[in-house]
Amino acid sequence: MIDFSAYGVQTPVVNAVKCPSCGKLFYPAPMICSGCGERRDPSGIIFKDWETVSLSGECTLLAWTRVYALPEGYEMQYLLFGIVEFPNGLRASGRLNVDQPVTGMKVNAEVEVMENSKGKEFDGFVFGS
Amino acid sequence: MRKVSIVGIGHTVFGNLSEFDLVDVMGFASGNALDDAGIRDNRKIVEQVFVANMGGGILNHQTGIASSLVSRMDMEPAMAELIENGPASGASAVKMGYMAIASGLVDVVMVTGGELMRTVTGWEGTDFVASLLHSEAEYNYGLTLPAYGGMFTRMYMERYGLTERDLGLVAVKDHQNGEKNPFAHVRVPCTIDAIHDNENAHVINNYIAEPLRMYGMCPVSDGAASLILCANDSPKMKYFTKQKPILISGVGSATDTHCVHNRKDPLILDAVRLAAEKAYKMAELKPDDISFAELHDAFVILELAISEEVGFFERGKAGDAIRNGVTAINGAKPINTSGGLKSKGHPVGATGVSQVFELVKQLREQGEEGRQVKDPKHGMAVNFGGFGNNVVAIICSKGEV
Repeated sequence: MIDFSAYGVQTPVVNAVKCPSCGKLFYPAPMICSGCGERRDPSGIIFKDWETVSLSGECTLLAWTRVYALPEGYEMQYLLFGIVEFPNGLRASGRLNVDQPVTGMKVNAEVEVMENSKGKEFDGFVFGS
Repeated sequence: MRKVSIVGIGHTVFGNLSEFDLVDVMGFASGNALDDAGIRDNRKIVEQVFVANMGGGILNHQTGIASSLVSRMDMEPAMAELIENGPASGASAVKMGYMAIASGLVDVVMVTGGELMRTVTGWEGTDFVASLLHSEAEYNYGLTLPAYGGMFTRMYMERYGLTERDLGLVAVKDHQNGEKNPFAHVRVPCTIDAIHDNENAHVINNYIAEPLRMYGMCPVSDGAASLILCANDSPKMKYFTKQKPILISGVGSATDTHCVHNRKDPLILDAVRLAAEKAYKMAELKPDDISFAELHDAFVILELAISEEVGFFERGKAGDAIRNGVTAINGAKPINTSGGLKSKGHPVGATGVSQVFELVKQLREQGEEGRQVKDPKHGMAVNFGGFGNNVVAIICSKGEV
């Protein structure tokens, strides 16, 4: 894979965070560790910000739905959504891109730049086969 | 703590009221409650007003709604605050009313919940409710409450063998009750043949969030409901002779993880169970003591899942109850006697107040013909906020003052 980072182009990424005291992983990031009570400071001024762990790759589909009544801002007929579990135990919600989804199937979590209903870009999961 | 009773109730019709003003709609329900309580001309004895509303600022571009309502109802200088707790705002406001009186701060409270959601398109309304989800990990993707309802339904069906026909039976039962409720939004009859058994059923009952269909979801509604609360030991109780007071015997609420995916078992609704346990403990009651219940069926699966979580049925067995008519109006445990959110409608800020309104109406035995529970003693309302991340349970009882 070509590394475009030298040109200021960032590869889309979804990060989990790791508690610096006890090592517990979280997605999305909390402000306090439920394992040991360690605090996070997104500005890094008062407490150390936590190490990030990129989240992608093979995971298991726990639940899915095909939604036809989409919110304002989406023009397509429907969207597929799913909840997955990664091998490290973390779970995530995201869009699903599988022809025939089956609960329990292995899917691959890829991270893409997508738009939310307000047209704002974000890096998000697409779970594909 | 002091005992608190509900001494007046008011309601507007639920449906499309978008040509009216939000505060006027709330005011209409509030006026009905004042009249029902018998304090039309003594309304200044209300010391505190709690208003439940989720989207006035977003949908109607109106803020400071509690102050506005007090002024429009000529109830100054009553204290007034707005309670916003997502779709559980209504029961939260009832809880705040209870707390204000039980603590001894005030004797008489008015609780009014209202919402005008049909002032925007259905797509905008769906987006507005979805704004309560986690902005980064849920909302951004276009996920909505119906999407989580669909995923929850599929998980439940795959684990417990529930069928789409069973889900249809919940809608049929709710419509049977809602048809007889003059305040209900969707008062059309609904048969299992029309929405499931008939070969063309899918035409009127299409998928919204698989496997949830149109008749598995509540409508988007406008409306308001209102309650007057008074301390049992207050000398002001002398004003409330018009109706038999109904005791608020149990109040409980609890929260759960914001992201649904972070629950160890997403089919277990911890906040529902904990809210109910607190309410049972306070009321010194058990699930078997509850005569009937209003459970937050924004999606029909939630009526089944909540009924298990509050202890009416074993986990995975609520499907048997609906198939056997246990939760019908003449069954052993009638659920959603008002028609529920499915038929009565779901103006989010009004819903919890409306659920308690129904408890009081049933306990006073003022239900319309064909939807009055026989000899009810205790009723329970469960108002479900977010996708179960903030849940409020209220138990009301027939009681002596």
